Amino acid sequence: MSYDDVGAISAFAKAHDVSYPLLSDVDSAVIRQYGLLNTQVEPGDVPLYGIPFPGSYVVDEDGVVVAKFFHDSYKKRDSPDNLIDAALGRISLQPEEPRAEGGDETVRVSATLHGGGGVLKQGAMRSVVVRFDLPPGLHVYAEPVPEGMVATSVTVEGVDGIRTGAPVLPPTEPLQLPGVDAELRVWSGTVDIAVPVWPTAPLLSEMQEITEPTTTLDVTVRYQACDDRTCLLPRTEKFSLEARLEPVDLPDLPLHPGSGQRVTKMGSGTQLRRLVIRKLLRTNPLDLLRSVRKQRRLNRAASARAQESAGPDARG
Amino acid sequence: MIHETDDLGFEAPAPLGHPGRSGLPAGQPTGPEIGDKLPDFELPDQHGHRIRLHDHRGRSKAAIVFYRSVVW
Repeated sequence: MSYDDVGAISAFAKAHDVSYPLLSDVDSAVIRQYGLLNTQVEPGDVPLYGIPFPGSYVVDEDGVVVAKFFHDSYKKRDSPDNLIDAALGRISLQPEEPRAEGGDETVRVSATLHGGGGVLKQGAMRSVVVRFDLPPGLHVYAEPVPEGMVATSVTVEGVDGIRTGAPVLPPTEPLQLPGVDAELRVWSGTVDIAVPVWPTAPLLSEMQEITEPTTTLDVTVRYQACDDRTCLLPRTEKFSLEARLEPVDLPDLPLHPGSGQRVTKMGSGTQLRRLVIRKLLRTNPLDLLRSVRKQRRLNRAASARAQESAGPDARG
Repeated sequence: MIHETDDLGFEAPAPLGHPGRSGLPAGQPTGPEIGDKLPDFELPDQHGHRIRLHDHRGRSKAAIVFYRSVVW
């Protein structure tokens, strides 16, 4: 759903072969009804006023929200897989996703780059899913653990521009061991720990060409599997996942010259002109003037920052 | 063309603070919460057909994505 008119969503759907419904909320009535009108945009900011805080809801058969995803940047986009996983209540790994296997004959451990086929795009939210397959009777520990025991941990590292979020952990079960004061929290069976991963600049940016076809994510997993009486040795395993890098789709507007990214063929210029006119007709001229002044101020501040970072010795 | 990189690592063809780069302020409410029934609405789709959310989904699960714009 967006504040675009039917003409714009129709052009977009044709250009990108979209078969699911795109919805046109031209007056942002539903966006307001949901309490999502973006308050960082002011009424004079033509043609932006009326956009929502971008985010997604997943509902069950009864239309009740089971998950919602809102991020601190509009450039972060959830993989369709995240929405499907939320609807199904489990992580569905796909065969085409980059995967590395480890563990031993007792405990199987794998790491998978999940979402969007495991391809990285600017701001697209993927996750590294570490899956433990534990035989009956064995468990691994969640934080916190008493001195001398090993809690399960997963870290993901990559080149500059790879960002990661806090691991998403499945629910734990309680475990009381004789001789241990604290109640322990454990996982058993199939255990998925998902670390959110998304690429930003300098690795991937809509303003520059992609220079390397792939990047490597280094995954470190530490765990100790135990039954109620004894423990196997603690293990640290390292996995490497090779991820393909892909450009993002950009509007065909002269905003990203020479970026080398993929440009849509929807005729954004014509659509933008119509959007601007539609918005201008509904805007108070005083608000408009205020917004023009604000944008000049922002441009001046950006130029000052650029000069400052170029340093006193910079020429030209 | 001014372009700058923000604290989150994203680069865009607009100065920092530009309304087109607005994110989600900390603590900002984001509409219906988990456990709420999603409010119904009726809007036209890309073919001009009126879609009423809960009628259209029937007994299916669904994802509803709020997006800035398909134009820019």
